[in-house]
Order: sequence, then C-alpha cells, then structure tokens
Amino acid sequence: MEHNVGRLDDIPADGALTLDIGGRPIGVFKVGTEVYAVRNLCPHKRAPLARGTVEGTMLPTPCAGEYRYGMDGQVLKCPWHGWEFDIKTGKCLFGVSDSRIRTYPVSVRDGQVYVDI
Amino acid sequence: MKIIDSDVHPWVPGDIEGLKPYLSKSWQMRFEGKRAILPDHPLRPPLAGATSIRRDTTTPDGGVGGSDPHFLRTDHLDVLDIEYAILSSIQAGKLVSLPNAGEAATLARAFNDYFVDKWLGVDTRYRLAMCVAAHNPVEAAKEIRRIGGREDVVAVYLPLVNILMGNAHYYPIYEAAEELGLPIFLHPTGTEGAFQTSVAFAGGVPSTYIERHSCFPQIAMGNIASLLFEGVFVRFPKLNVLAAEFGFGWVPHMLWRFDQNWRQFRREVPWLEQEPSSYVLDHVRFTSQPLEEPEKDEYLLQILEMVHADRTILFSTDYPHWDTDYPQTTFQRLPDAMRQRIFHDNATELFGLKSNPASGAANGA
Repeated sequence: MEHNVGRLDDIPADGALTLDIGGRPIGVFKVGTEVYAVRNLCPHKRAPLARGTVEGTMLPTPCAGEYRYGMDGQVLKCPWHGWEFDIKTGKCLFGVSDSRIRTYPVSVRDGQVYVDI
Repeated sequence: MKIIDSDVHPWVPGDIEGLKPYLSKSWQMRFEGKRAILPDHPLRPPLAGATSIRRDTTTPDGGVGGSDPHFLRTDHLDVLDIEYAILSSIQAGKLVSLPNAGEAATLARAFNDYFVDKWLGVDTRYRLAMCVAAHNPVEAAKEIRRIGGREDVVAVYLPLVNILMGNAHYYPIYEAAEELGLPIFLHPTGTEGAFQTSVAFAGGVPSTYIERHSCFPQIAMGNIASLLFEGVFVRFPKLNVLAAEFGFGWVPHMLWRFDQNWRQFRREVPWLEQEPSSYVLDHVRFTSQPLEEPEKDEYLLQILEMVHADRTILFSTDYPHWDTDYPQTTFQRLPDAMRQRIFHDNATELFGLKSNPASGAANGA
C-alpha cells in the first residue's frame, strides 16, 4: 500500500527523512535524483540507519595495498559499526553478512514521494 | 605413533667463538676486535644457572644441553620415537639484538653452515629451520636461496626485529621462502624488550622473567594481525607461517575479533575478499608447547576445536628448555584423529616431510 511521505524537497540532501508508517520506522533518502526507502533499523545491532551516510566504498581488489573506489551513491553505511548495504537491494556488501536491510519501492509524482509498504 | 617435534633447539658451544670455523678470517677478526657476543636478556629465568636450558639435558661430556647431536638423538629422538625433529636455534635468534646488519647476516650464515655441517649429517631425523637476519632482507633472501633448496632444510627461522611482519621490509624474504616452498618459522628470540633492535613488548618494558615470558603471545598476535591486514597472504598466496612457542589459547579471540572488525572496516583492506580468520586458518600454524593448562581439562578440547586444531596445531617439545612438553604428560585426552593431526600430519604438510624410513631407534649415520 502506498503512503505519501511528503514533498521531495522536504527530504534533506545530506540526510534522510525519518518517519513512522503503521508502526514501522522508515528512513527515506534522496541521492541525486533517486529516492530510496529503507526500514530504519540495522539488522546487526538495530542502529537507526536513517542517520547513516550514503556514499561509495572500496571495491574488492585482488592487489594488496591498492584501493578502488566505486559504487558512489549506492552504499548505505550504518552510523554505528559502519556495515555497508546496497541501498537498492538492501544486501550487505561483499559477503560481510548474510543479513540485509528491508527496502521499499518509492515513486515520485508531482513532487510528492510515495513509499509502498 | 610416530611423532614430529616441531621445536627443538640445538646449541653452538662457545657462542660466536664456536662459529669461527664458519667465518672468514676477516669476519673472525671483526668479531674478535670488538669482543662481540650474542647477549642474554638481563631478565633471566629464576632457575639453576639462570638459564632456560635443562640441567638434565647436559651432555655426557658436560656440554650444554642441545650442544651434541649424537646425545640429543639418544636422549630425545629415540626415547620419543620421533620421526623428524625441526631444529631452530634460539641462540642464533639473538642476532636481532645486534645493530649491525652485516654482522647479523654473517652470523646467520655461519649458524646455518654449522648446523648443516655438524647436525644434519648425523641423523636423517634432523631437519633445519635455517636462520636469516632480518636486518637486510635482500641478503636474507640470498641466504634462503643459497641453502633453502636442500631437502633437510624445511623452514626459514625469521627472528623478528622491531618491524611488524606485514611491512614491505620483509617481502624479499617472503618471496624467496615462497619460491622454495619453505614456511616462515617464528619463535621468541629471548631478546624481546631488552635491545633497541629487538621486538618491543606492548605498553612498555617488563621487569621480571615471569612477566616477559607471559607476554610472548603479544608478539605473535601483533605480527599475525600485521601479516593479515597488510595483505601478505594475498601478495604471497603460497606463504605459510608457523608461530612456535607463542601458545594458542588466545587465538580464538584473535580470529573472532579479526572477523568482527572486518565486518565494519573491510573497506580499509579491500584485498581481503574473505573473512580474515580464513586466511589465518589457511596460512598460519601454531606449536603446542607450552601447552596451556585451563581450569578444566575440557576447556582445552574446546579451545582446540575453536582454533581448528586438526589443521593448525603442531606438537612440539621445546627440548632442551625448562618448559619441555613430553607426550606422556601432554594432551592426555585427545580424539585419535586429532592426535594424529597434531602429533604428525599437520607437521608433514607444513614442512613437506616425506615418511622417514630410517626413523626409529636404529636410525643414524
């Protein structure tokens, strides 16, 4: 069921909108032109993921000592232990854990943001 | 059951003087001119003679325990039915206390030549962990390539200087060891905390023997963390390391902490594509002595399970030192399959040992 969570412009560019939808804590992120909604709970220690950051990360590399930054804007990093999740799929990245975050479909119509829960 | 003893210590009588036949005239004069010795740590064990060498291993002609390859085989190899004994010279390890790289490399080479000459020919059960001086890793790599191809040289004893093992300083040594299929053999040098070039203890300087001896595991822990996170096992995928005489009761904690931290800080070390513990279990081994004595016997079995002892633990006696572990009083309760791994198979795999047809009391040249 779709829920109107407000205007696109109300989502802070450097953070997330946090809200409660039917008893579920939800975080809505705006990354560039994309909008993502996740359950506002880290599966690891139940930290508020909406206070996390969306950035890229260091991709696995076969060469010790070398860094390769990538996935910019696709990695949600928990504000506590820094666990990294793919913000689109909710998967914990690179086999660090089998756990995943709950993600919800989002649509934007006429400047209004709808989260499907 | 045949036993492989992964930690036996031979001794060169007379210190540097005893190595003279293996030093050039110029080096003899160099050492003589400065009255050089391989120094003891000032914190001595509170034992008779203030030495860690057991009095009951004194040779029939009154020599220091471990100084006679003929006596050691009857006093130790025959008694325990040892198939192979891995010789590492802790006396040679003291060369890390020397500030001069040329002297250290020269002594390492002389020690190696001494043991090849005086020991390896005596009994086919002797296998050498050849020594290198880490001061100059390029010279050390040359030394490895000089004698490391011998069948009776099965490891590279790397007495550590105060540089963590993940540092590129050591890479020439790893490259040569990997090339020759030799594991790196680590052991306390007995000089830790006493000399500026030796490994420093965490937090400061211990003030008694009991304190410094209790803290040896710190050294292995710090160096394994360094090897792992600097990606040494990614750079040198065939390199293996044996941590001898550092204990292993602390290993479960270390493995779990590594994995836990990797889950949060993986991006710092993106070359580790699997859980850190898997690299340690694949590449690092530990000797059993001095076997930890937990409050309850069953705890030891639990720890063995936690460290995957069927892959990682190698039996060792540490003969002729005061804390020798003998099989008849060590690992009293052990499942048969694990006993076979710990007392034998883990060592044959690590050192690439073939079955020794000559092993047994009748062996010898």
